[in-house]
Parts: sequence; C-alpha cells; structure tokens
Amino acid sequence: MSTAYPLPTNLSKTTVANTASLLRIVALGLISAAAIASRLFAVINFESIIHEFDPWFNYRATRVLAAKGFYEFWNWFDPTAWYPLGRVVGGTVYPGLMATSGVIYNFLHAFNLPVDIRNICVLLAPGFSALTAWATYMFTKEMKDESAGLLAAAFIGIVPGYISRSVAGSYDNEAIAIFLLMFTFYCWIKALKTGSALFGTLAAVFYFYMVAAWGGYAFITNMIPVHALALMLMGRFSSRLYVAYCSWYAIGTLSSMQVPFVGFQPVRTSEHMGALGVFGLLQIVAFAQLARSHLSSKQFQNLLTVAVIVMGVVGTFGFIALTYMGWIAPWTGRFYSLWDTGYAKKYIPIIASVSEHQPTAWPSFFMDLQFLIFLFPAGVVLCFRELRDEHVFVIIYAVVASYFAGVMVRLMLTLTPVVCVASAVAFSSLMDTYLDPTQPEAEGESRPAEVDASAASNGSTASTASKKEKEKAKKPAAGGALSDIVAATSSSKKSKGVWGLDTRLVVIAHSLLMLGFFVFHCTWVTSSAYSSPSVVLASTNADGSQHIIDDFREAYYWLRQNTAEDAVVMSWWDYGYQIAGMADRPTLVDNNTWNNTHIATVGKAMSSSEEVAYPILRKHDVDYVLVIFGGLLGYSGDDINKFLWMVRIAQGVWPDEIQEPNYFTPQGEYRVDDRASSAMRNSLMYKMSYYRFAELFGGGQAVDRVRQQTMPKTGPTLDYLDEAFTSENWIVRIYQVRKEDDLGRDLKSANAFAQGKKRKRTKPVSKRRAITV
Amino acid sequence: MRLPSLIPFLSLFLLSSVWAAPKDKGAVRQQLIDLSAKGNGVIKLDSKTFDLLTLPNRDWSASIQFTALDRRRRCAPCKEFDPSWNAIAKAWTSTPKEHRDNHFFGTLDFDEGQAVFQKLGLASAPIVYVYPAAEGPRQAPSGKTGPSKYDFSTGFEAEPLAIHLSNHTPIPIPYKAPIDWARWATFISGLLGFALTIRFISPVLQSRWTWAAITVLTSLTMIGGFMFTRIRGMPYTGPDGSWIAAGYQNQYGQEVQVIALIYGTLSFAFLMLIMIVPYQSSPSRQRMQVYLWSAVVMLIYSVLITLFRIKNRGYPFKLLL
Amino acid sequence: MAAPSSSSSSSPVLSLWKAYHQNTSDRLKFIDSFLIFLMISGIIQFVYCVLVTNFPFNAFLAGFSSTVGQFVLTASLRSQVNPENKGVFKDVSPERAFSDFVLGSIVLHFFVFNFLG
Repeated sequence: MSTAYPLPTNLSKTTVANTASLLRIVALGLISAAAIASRLFAVINFESIIHEFDPWFNYRATRVLAAKGFYEFWNWFDPTAWYPLGRVVGGTVYPGLMATSGVIYNFLHAFNLPVDIRNICVLLAPGFSALTAWATYMFTKEMKDESAGLLAAAFIGIVPGYISRSVAGSYDNEAIAIFLLMFTFYCWIKALKTGSALFGTLAAVFYFYMVAAWGGYAFITNMIPVHALALMLMGRFSSRLYVAYCSWYAIGTLSSMQVPFVGFQPVRTSEHMGALGVFGLLQIVAFAQLARSHLSSKQFQNLLTVAVIVMGVVGTFGFIALTYMGWIAPWTGRFYSLWDTGYAKKYIPIIASVSEHQPTAWPSFFMDLQFLIFLFPAGVVLCFRELRDEHVFVIIYAVVASYFAGVMVRLMLTLTPVVCVASAVAFSSLMDTYLDPTQPEAEGESRPAEVDASAASNGSTASTASKKEKEKAKKPAAGGALSDIVAATSSSKKSKGVWGLDTRLVVIAHSLLMLGFFVFHCTWVTSSAYSSPSVVLASTNADGSQHIIDDFREAYYWLRQNTAEDAVVMSWWDYGYQIAGMADRPTLVDNNTWNNTHIATVGKAMSSSEEVAYPILRKHDVDYVLVIFGGLLGYSGDDINKFLWMVRIAQGVWPDEIQEPNYFTPQGEYRVDDRASSAMRNSLMYKMSYYRFAELFGGGQAVDRVRQQTMPKTGPTLDYLDEAFTSENWIVRIYQVRKEDDLGRDLKSANAFAQGKKRKRTKPVSKRRAITV
Repeated sequence: MRLPSLIPFLSLFLLSSVWAAPKDKGAVRQQLIDLSAKGNGVIKLDSKTFDLLTLPNRDWSASIQFTALDRRRRCAPCKEFDPSWNAIAKAWTSTPKEHRDNHFFGTLDFDEGQAVFQKLGLASAPIVYVYPAAEGPRQAPSGKTGPSKYDFSTGFEAEPLAIHLSNHTPIPIPYKAPIDWARWATFISGLLGFALTIRFISPVLQSRWTWAAITVLTSLTMIGGFMFTRIRGMPYTGPDGSWIAAGYQNQYGQEVQVIALIYGTLSFAFLMLIMIVPYQSSPSRQRMQVYLWSAVVMLIYSVLITLFRIKNRGYPFKLLL
Repeated sequence: MAAPSSSSSSSPVLSLWKAYHQNTSDRLKFIDSFLIFLMISGIIQFVYCVLVTNFPFNAFLAGFSSTVGQFVLTASLRSQVNPENKGVFKDVSPERAFSDFVLGSIVLHFFVFNFLG
C-alpha cells in the first residue's frame, strides 16, 4: 500500500489510541476556553453588567432567590410590576435559570468564595456555552465519529448565531437552554441507539430541566415524537424505539407538569398532543409486534394492520372532537403564528411588534453562520447516504429548524446547533478523504486508515493550539468508521482514495483558509454586533477613542435617588424590566407582555392628546412618565420609532378612538416636522419627545437626527406634565405628572392663567368636557 | 358627560331643521331602500345620493366605500377590494327587513362624485367610512355623528371587515366566507391522483435520494430568506429593476433564488469532493476534478462575500474579488 | 384492539393465547401479570375520573401517570429481557435492564410523590 506522505512506523496501536484521546481532551479544553473567551468582549469593552431588557428581570429575580431562598422566591408576589395588578412571579416564570444561578451561588459560598451574584449572572452564559460545546461534541460523535464531534464543538463554540444569545451579561433563558436542548437530544439518540431506559430517563430529566428553563421546550416536545413517527413510517420500529420513547415520555411529561408555569398544559394543549398520540401509537404497534411474534397467520396480520390504522384514525378524530368540546386547548397564539405567518400581525400585534419576531432575511443567516450555512446542506446529504436512525433525526431537525429560523429571527438559535452538526459531518468527511495518506492501488480493495481530522478544528478555535495541531496532523488515529461508509456507498466496488500530494494540499489549503476566515468573521461579528449591552452605548470619538454614553443608567439612578419609593413610572413596556431592576420603582407594564389591555392602555395614553391622556394617567396613579428620545444623538431605537406599534396596539382595543392612519400625513408619510398630522403633533409621546427640543439649538435649525427632519421653531407645550429630568444626551426624558389644580381648574387654563394669557387659543367647551370625563 | 355631549347635538339639530327641513326623512329612506334593492344591496352613489344617504338628520347608519374602479384610474387595490365589499352588502340583504332598512351600503366611485372626494379631502382609494345614525334610537351613545374610517391593516379580505362593520349595524352582518370550491376540488383531485399513481411513484418515494432532494431544496429556500419575502410581501425585483435590495434586513424575491443557487453550488462542490472525486479510477482525471471543484468553491465563495458586502456595508473582509 | 379482531375471527385469538402459553418463559409471564395488574389499575382510575370526579386533577394525573409510567417501564424491561430480542439490545444485558428499570421507576415515583401534592 503506497502512502502519499511518510508515516512513522514505530508506533504501537495503544500509543496512538492514547495520544488521540489525550489530544481530544486537550482540544475540547481549548474549544471550551475559546468559547468562553470569545463571549467576554462585552465585559472587556464595557464592564460586568447585565444586558438588554429581559435579563434585568432574571437578574432581579435571582437576587431575590439568592437573598431569601427558594421558598420565598417560589411564593414571591411582586406588587411593583404591572401596577396596580402586580405579578405572581413564582407561577409565571421559568425558574430554571434563576435556580441554576442560585445553586452556583450557594455552592461557591459554601466554599467561602464570596462571589457577587451579579458576576455569576453575567458569566453564566459563557460558562454554559462551554458545556454546549461538549454536548454538541457528544451528539455529533453519535452521528459520525470523534473528529466530527470536535469540529462541531469548535463550530458551536464560536458561531455568532449562538454567541448572539450567550455573551457575558446576556443573562437570559436561552443561555442555558441550548445546552439542555443539545444534551436532551444526545440522551435521546443514545437511548434510541442502545435501547436503554437509563438514557431515556436521563433524557426525561434533562427535558424537565429544559421545561423549567425555557418556553422553547415545546421544540423538544415535538421533535422527538416526529422523529419516532418518521422511524415508524419508514418501517424502522424496534423495541429500542419503544423503550427509548416510552421511558422519555412517561417520565418527561409527568416531570414537566411540576413546573407551575407549565401546569397541566402537557395534557391539555395541542402543542403537546402529538407526543401523546405517538405514545399511544407506539403502544399499539408494540402490542401488534408482540402478537405477531407469537403468531404468523397471514389473516391475523392483516387484521392487526387494519386495527392499527383504525385506532390511528379513531385517535385523530377523538383529538379533534376533544378540541372542539374544549377539553384540549387549540394552538396558542404564539405557537400558531409560526404556521400562519400573517396571524400575529392581525390578532396579536404585541408579538409582531417585537423585533426578534421578525422574519429573517438571508444576510442574517450568513452573518450568523457564515460558511457553515452552505456546508450544512452537504452534511444533510451525507446523512442521507448512511441514513441510520439518528441521521433521520438530524434531517428532520434540519428541515424544521430552517423553516422556523426563516419565520423568526429569534429561532435562528435553534437552527444553529443542527447547522454546526451537519457541517461538521460534511467537513470531517472532507478531511477524512484528503488527509488519509493511503493512495488507492490500481486494482484490489484498499482499507484506508482514518486520520484524525480534528486538527482542523483546533485551527479554528485557538491559535495557541497551532503547535500541537501540527504534531497532531501527522499522527494517524485508529478508527474504522470510514470502511463502514465505503461499504455503505453504492460505488464501494471501486477503490477509493486520492492520488498525489498536491491534490491533498489544494483541498486542505482552501479548507483551512475557510476555517481561518470563519474565525476572523466570528471575532468581528461578536465584537462589533453582539457585544453591546444596550444599556450602555458606545460611540467613537473623532480621534478613534471610545466614548461611553450612559444615559439610561444616569436616568434610572436619578429616579432611584430623587423620587418617592412608591412613585409609579409609566413607560412603554420595553423599559419596564430595566426600571424595575435599576430604578426599583413600580411600573405599569413590562416586558412580560401577558396583559394586552394594560399595554394598550399605556399605548392609548401615549398616543392620545394630553387632555385624554391625563385622566388615564391619574387613574393609574402615574407619577412619572419616561420616554426614550434619540433625536439629538441619532439613537434609532427610540420611542418615536416604536410609536406606531403603540398606536396599533391601542387601536386593537379602542378602534374608535385611536386610528393608525391619523398619525400619517395625508400623503401616507410618517413625519414629525411641521407637516406632521395633528393627531401626531398632539399626542403625548410627540410632545414629551420634542418638548423644548428646538430651544436647544438656540434659534438655529432643530434637526431630528434619527428621522432627518427639520423640527418647527416653536416646539410643543405641555400643560399636564412637568419636565423632571432629561439625561445628558437627551436619550431618556422623565416627566412628572401634575396633580389636579388646587382651585379645581382645568390644568390647561390654570397654566394659561399662570402665564398671564387670556383663553383665546383654545375652545373652553372641549376642555371642560375632557376634565369631567 | 351628558350635558356637553348634547351641545353639539343641539346645534346640529337646529342646523338641520333649517337646512334639511324640506326633505322628508321617510321619503328619503324609501328612496334609499329602492336604490339598494336595485343594486343588489349596494347603492351606487353620486354626489346627490351621497348627500341623501348621509343626511344630517338621518336615523339610519351607512357604510360607504370610496373607490376608483375605472380602468384609467389604475387602482389595483380598489379592484381587489370591491368583491369583498359587494359580498358583505349581499350578505346584509338576507337580514330581516326591520334591521336591513336601518343600515345601507353604498359605493361612491371617484368618477361619479369628485366633488364629494374633494369635500371630504380624500386623496386615496379605497376607503371605507361608517356613518352612524345621527338621530333616533340608534344614535351613537357618544353623540358622534361624523364618519369613522376603517383601516385596512388586516388586508382587503371580507371577513375582518364584516366583523368591524358589525359593530355599527343593528345586528351582526351574517357574512360567511364562501366555501372555496376550487381549492377543495384541487385538494381532492390531488389526493385521488396521488392514490392512483402511488403504484408507479412509490419506488420514487421510497428512494432516499428523492427525500434528500426535497429536504435540501426546502432548506436552501428557507435559508435563502424565502419566508422573509413571503411574510413581508416583497416584490420579485425592485421598482427600478434592480434585483438586490439595499439594506441588511431587506431583500427581494430574486435574491432568494440567487442565494439558494450559490449555496447549492457550493454544497454541490463539496459533495463532489467528498463523494465522487475519491472514486475516480484515473489519477489525472481525479486531479483535474480536485482542482476544478476547489476553484469553483473559492470563486463562488468570493462572489457570495461580495454580495454580502453589498448588503452589509460595514463588512471588513473580502476574498478574491 | 380486541374488539375488531374478536368480532371477525375468534380462532386467531385462541391460537394466539395458546402460542403465548407455550412459548413464553415463566419469568416473562410474571412480568406480564404485573403489566395486567397495572393496566386494570389504570382503567379503574380512569373510569373513576370520568364517572365520579377529577377533582384533585393533579392527584388523578399523578396516580394515572404512575400506573402508565410503571407500565411502559415494565414493558420496556420485558422487551429487554426477552431472549428473542437479544439481537436488538446488544448493549443491554438483563442485569443492566433491571437496574435501568429500577432507576427509571425511582425517578418516576419521585415525581409522582412530588405531584400528589
């Protein structure tokens, strides 16, 4: 047998095996280090701070848990959220994330390591990303071999699609959920392959953890049954499938009902019925198989087939009947909107308004997955080549997840693991072929030894590993999986292999180039796009140095220091968690968007005129109103840009009073300058945003830098609110709501009186009406 | 609440008694009923009948479609919406007489009543206004007599419109979406065709490569951003004929095809390198193929990066191109 | 399951019963008797729930899922120790199967106990 490059001959088999496993461990360690390190940009560039919106609530809840213990947390009623309704936090939250941090916190403190709970929360996501890399390694190992596993681990360690939700400080459910997702899938595949109830039980336990951690658990609830059903339809039913599925379902379903937020849903809602149906079907099929093994009468077998089909049809109709009778709740709106994509916009604008629920355009896919995105179809095809039971899983996962990721940007997160797995399979097949030193002979079969392709994976993660990888590339590892593949392909008759060294070098060169490019891409995307806390903004000065814009915290701390402890702050729901977390003040609405009417009330107050809004504010005891205004700085995520959603949501509840077209100019433009519609100009949001804005320019032209429109010289006036605070760059503006006039006058006329004006600009009749409503 | 709301009403009443006194309400109503019956539930309005229908002292309510159906006006949405409007009006004719005659449906075409369009300041079409009853038992509790506008945020379908209008009619509009016979027929014939040909196509269906093709094509379409174009209703190409949309979160229909093709070619090149090239029997041909597919990969990949740089201006990297 | 087959032909059912009697080892029969007990217990609970009340719904669910869960775990054990399935379960010896069974049951009943309220 000729080889393309010389191999050392004096190595014993055990040495090779030992070295290979040592290198695998080292490689996994380096991958974990790279995964953690690449998520620390945010901490280095800014500071150890909780990011964005939802994490602030999780952080606040975790602090309660760490300070008061689990039982207190479980029974925690938060009167400051959703004022005046309050929120039962213990029953409306997925507690997995907080419980995890709480356990880590108590564990460290038991060892007298006084780590601040905030640092645990900030660093939880990077830590779990290392575990995700390991889980992906295990999962991919079941698909192909260890080298593919290492590649997949390296990919998922640094791929932006996953980093986007797991940078340090992004303390959200997804931080631990992806690890749980991958590990549950791994246990399921392992259970299916071995037919062991142990792994089925493990899958169920991790499924329970997943249910406790993330609402996306429904993905597992449906993926596993679909896989089982597909296997049965392919005629691949086996007792292994029965053992794996039944042990997972029986324990997993019962355990998922322990989470208060989930409750009885697993037996009451349509999302979970597929799993139950497959469970029932499996019992029937298993019984039929058992009967068949005892009896081989043709007639009886036909009967069995008919019986199975009849049972299936009866089950389906029974399900439909139960749904109509109201025993089983139909698809919930959030879930339904995945299938009928127009549904959310029509009926639940609050879901459609969230930016991460928008559909995904192709640049996002490429940004998040780079070259993996086109290796991924190749990997799927390679799965078809072998098509073992576990490959069917990857194939189904690939199709389903790519659809979901197309519908919602947020679900890119579920697509990322399968893309990493499939492209690792493809890439390691390529490496297997072209690193393999044996050359085919003119005739006769050759039995090529496999070369550990994980060298490439090292190259993609850490440059520090480069020394080792060079040594490693030369050392062939033991392994015989390739011969199986050769046997499985149709063209196994022909000898397989590559001639010459140059061909190998060409392919390896461009593969390494791609991996290197991937590393640069990931680093750039992570550092530039995904590492902003969005609580603290950064801009670049003219000399290239970084300028920190800290308006949010400035304003929240102002609230904390200067207002009464029970002062109610109204803002659009995006900022509810942050106000609660940083300013510690009651809020009307927050990011847990469970009460549409309450949010619409805020929307109505923001989009109506002062006279209409004032009674609403007074009725809800609002003391301060907070708006985000980016017009001075050019911060585009401000409230005026979100304003149409407020209008839309308010319109959903009060279609007679708030109408979206009124906020556009007759030409259908969305304008804020002197051509703005009167409804727009009179709305509370507009007035609060632009109050005294023109004065800032001292008679010059006032320009809104976000909308690029010139503002009128005389800005809006406020009669029912007083400006209380405006942050350095005007991003956060806080207004105090005036109390009713002492003399019982309408505030507007009182104001006019105080300014010494006569009531000439306004018609008194309508004014009086507003106050008496 | 009560007192102030009476004031505009009173003033209106005074006005109308002066201005609309000569018109007998009963006669007008009868005229409207006749017109409505003639037009299959919809009154074809012009400037004069429009004034009748929206009489200031009307004790009926009316919903009016402002449209421009004439071909010269080139109003595609108008044509799209018109059938829905007529279907709802038709559904209304099946209600009992005592309710039916309290609400009228009208259509005012731009070419029939330009004056009305000008008076109301309407610049676009289609528009639906609902005029509540100004007097009598069905007068709106808020005393509002002006029209309210229906916004088409839910599209031009009849169903949401019927639900919306039912808030203003004496009884809900008994509108039911017509059964889409064509759709059912296609579905059933498709099912039948499948059942008949299953014998012949079952080998195809059982082949794993059929499924591989389906799977890969589906994935490629999805990762090409197909759902984005569907949900957002993006056109196939831009208005100026450009096929690539500017902006990171934006794309046209044609981009889906181009991107899916690029991804597909790259995948295919890799698959050739993995699955076909090693089985070549002649070294020289194999070498040629290795170089060929490697060149394809590098070239297409560079094209992809270039496209991405167009979408994302800040992207700092580039390959060959 | 039994309804369609017994109505059209009773002899296959009889021969099935006979074949079962002859070909099944005592150990498996023992497991089967436990399975039948679980099945009856589950049916009684279900009938009680439908006819009388499902009032403490969590208690009913806990009881019912404990029987169903125990049933499928036992059925899994049965198929794992069945000598006919030796080829299917290469990695699972009967001893391993039993320890899996015990562990699964413990986890199951832990959750049942927690759920009973």
